[in-house]
Amino acid sequence: MKWQRKDILAIEDMSVEEIRHILHTAKVMKEILMRPIKKLPTLKGKSVVNLFYEASTRTRTSFEMAAKVLGADTTSIAVAQSSVSKGESLYDTAKTIQAMRADVVILRHPSSGSAKFLADILDPAVINAGDGQHAHPTQALLDIFTMQEHLGELEGKNVVIVGDVLHSRVARSNAWCLQKMGVNVTLAGPPTLVPAEMEGLGVNMTHDLDSALPGADIVMALRLQLERQKSGLFPSLREYSHLYGLTTERLKKTGKQSIVLHPGPMNRGVEISDDVANGVDALIERQVTNGVAIRMALIYLLIGGSGNVVA
Amino acid sequence: MEGTIKSKILDPDGIRRAVTRIAHEIVEKNKGTDKLVLVGIRRRGVPLAERIQQYIEEFEGVKVPLGILDITLYRDDLSTIDIHPVVHETDIPVSIEGKAVILIDDVLYTGRTARAALDATMDIGRPERIQLAVLVDRGHRELPIRADFVGKNLPTSRREIVAVRLKEVDGDEDVLLLERDDDINKS
Amino acid sequence: MWWLKDVMVIDPSQNISAPRDVLIKDKMVLEISASLTEEDVLVKAQGESVETVNGKGKYLFPGLIDVHTHLREPGQEDKEDILSGSRAAVRGGFTTILAMANTQPPIDNRALVEFVRRQGERAGYAHVLPIGTVTKGMQGSELVEMADMKAGGAAAFSDDGKNIQNAEMMRLALEYAKLTGFPIISHCEDKDLAGDGQMRRGVASGRMGLRGIPASAESVIVARDLILAEETGGKLHLAHISTADSVEMIRKAKARGVNVTAEVNPHHLIFTDEEIGITDTVLKVNPPLGSEEDREALIEGLRDGTIDMIATDHAPHTQAEKARPFAEAPFGIASLETALSAVWNYLVLPGRLSLDRVIEAWSWAPAQRFGLTGGTLKPGAIADIVLFDPDFSEVIDSTNLVSKARNTPFLGKNMAGFPVMVWVEGKLVQRDRVVK
Ligand SMILES: [Zn+2]
Repeated sequence: MKWQRKDILAIEDMSVEEIRHILHTAKVMKEILMRPIKKLPTLKGKSVVNLFYEASTRTRTSFEMAAKVLGADTTSIAVAQSSVSKGESLYDTAKTIQAMRADVVILRHPSSGSAKFLADILDPAVINAGDGQHAHPTQALLDIFTMQEHLGELEGKNVVIVGDVLHSRVARSNAWCLQKMGVNVTLAGPPTLVPAEMEGLGVNMTHDLDSALPGADIVMALRLQLERQKSGLFPSLREYSHLYGLTTERLKKTGKQSIVLHPGPMNRGVEISDDVANGVDALIERQVTNGVAIRMALIYLLIGGSGNVVA
Repeated sequence: MEGTIKSKILDPDGIRRAVTRIAHEIVEKNKGTDKLVLVGIRRRGVPLAERIQQYIEEFEGVKVPLGILDITLYRDDLSTIDIHPVVHETDIPVSIEGKAVILIDDVLYTGRTARAALDATMDIGRPERIQLAVLVDRGHRELPIRADFVGKNLPTSRREIVAVRLKEVDGDEDVLLLERDDDINKS
Repeated sequence: MWWLKDVMVIDPSQNISAPRDVLIKDKMVLEISASLTEEDVLVKAQGESVETVNGKGKYLFPGLIDVHTHLREPGQEDKEDILSGSRAAVRGGFTTILAMANTQPPIDNRALVEFVRRQGERAGYAHVLPIGTVTKGMQGSELVEMADMKAGGAAAFSDDGKNIQNAEMMRLALEYAKLTGFPIISHCEDKDLAGDGQMRRGVASGRMGLRGIPASAESVIVARDLILAEETGGKLHLAHISTADSVEMIRKAKARGVNVTAEVNPHHLIFTDEEIGITDTVLKVNPPLGSEEDREALIEGLRDGTIDMIATDHAPHTQAEKARPFAEAPFGIASLETALSAVWNYLVLPGRLSLDRVIEAWSWAPAQRFGLTGGTLKPGAIADIVLFDPDFSEVIDSTNLVSKARNTPFLGKNMAGFPVMVWVEGKLVQRDRVVK
């Protein structure tokens, strides 16, 4: 297919063809990551800027490694929240980055829509590494890449996403990505965290996790922000974990050898029991590699031709 | 093929004879098949490599390992071409440590593809030696690179295009010499 | 003297909606007649020179009265000031504007009331009437000196921008304001329900991951304030009503005889939350844009009189403030210059509202509720008048707006139907879209 996209902002507006193309390219990248020498000359002389307004060593390192394997130079700008409140706006920072003549800007920011905001201002390509509660497209793509490795073709498969869907960009991006790939998606969690307005995502919703589990090929547990309890969204960790925590016992209800994913970091004993968490841990190395492969694919697709070279 | 056909350089028989000869030379120069790993460079190097593998099997009774190399990510012209080239998988099923890797392509021209293939191969492992086999060598090298095995040496002008067509890829089977219609600068 | 010939006069105060000739003399409306001859006019001019305007194909109506504008002076003059805001007003067809009290500092004493009033007079465009706060510093805990502020020229009281969360304080305000005869203008928003929401809670907010403000954040306070107004017999005006539930509750309260009026903003009559894109901070407004159901209920409420008036809630902000990610941008739409044209294009032309109802709701109704001059073309009334040309078209852009603000969703749009002449006290202050 002909790649025409300037930025990677959200899965919502992507076509199935684009998603498949990204997954295909990532497969090639993963093969390269398995080589003894993980260094390509592909993007020699190009520059990738990591602009992180939230600390996330995992995601930032993944992007840095992806850029480096492709031969690009990387710069990281970690913006502490304090300097934001001192008045330097994302708009001002964008103007500085424009002057740096970057080819790709990776943005992690606490405000929904900030990635599109930046992309609208900047000439360089923008990759959304998580914007507020809106989207985390690279996480969704890497999750799907991993699912595909396990299950093959995903069409007709069943995925349950359980937890704080309302506040989760991972849930939103995964819901979009999975349903585009023909997967039956069910969001599960208490009514305060899976409220009616989430029906805009166009997937099934339930407050009864146990009824959603039979037939599930994949169960994805979301990280529960423990401070949500203080704002009254659920009464106690005990009750939450009783109703929605993933345990070996509960997972038997799928009737399958289901795979459990978690975007990390996990609250062991809350959304996931220790033994189930150990299973997730076993997948982590693969998830890390797949994350780098997906991000290599995206960086390559965005600037691997002349289309986005800033003159 | 954006050009006018000037002459047919090889017909199916000609291609068969050239490739068979290359297969023999490879075995002869490497004193047998022990260390050989054939690697076809996408796209038309791949069917050529498969044919060489088959010929060697016919006269040596040995199935030499075969791999596929995609050099898109190693091209030095990525930022000058207008599209985003689709990358394909590289698939070399055996270790190339200490082996004799034979890179196989259809046409040797500027040498840039061969350069990229050498880089890609050496990122995968450390072979004892690397050799290059091509169906047509049309001259005009821009880098100090030469082929070890050549099916057909063909002196050309830069305005001419050498079109290799193989039935696995193109349906047809021949090598044509074309004259460029316009002056678009295409390698 | 002005002779406006053969113009379609819309004056709901006299039930006029017909072609007429209108004379303006000595700051007043002199006469409205079916037709006048040149001789009649010369006699009435009593030697004064006569400027004649051919009004054929145009509308003439009382200058609009906007009971909800934010002029930002004192304190935030980078967004707007009283001069730029009152110029924007007359460019948009408003001859009287009520300036909201949430400036920095808030208008919570007589000196500040007099300051705003004087600045309005110095500017010399629209009549600028100060609204005072209800509580000192808008802190919601102590009442302001309402009687003194009335004496200084305040027109109403409101902590707009905030809601008085304490129900007892609201009850006391409704009681005490009886001394002035002014309504308490309530910005209905429950702080806890609204939380740090950015747009109406619904499918659109859920999809975009923008925090939602439920419709109930407004409606529960509307319910509270209606009950308090009923119990106290106080005078209540509900600002920027935006939900179907609020409309229904106001309808029932009015049927019970509660002394309440309500306003609606043009943007709530035109847009819904589904139209907000994730970077469209220009549509970020408080109360937030609602659902299509809400929009329909608001139009119906305005048609049947449940909602008494239209008001702009002109909320100017700088470009830099709006050029931020959605959650970081301030709420508000600057609308004085585009509101009338927007209502004309989006509601009158498609047949959803009659022009007569629009003029009633935007001049006569506010004049009556807030006891203001204007809002009528009765002979002897002050000559605050608008000539509206339905065919005049204009692209809304940075170069022609006279407000300091550019935060309007109509920026770049080509619209037809604008005020082309505006008189304040008989003085022509705007002609052909140019403010004098
Ligand atoms: Zn308000």
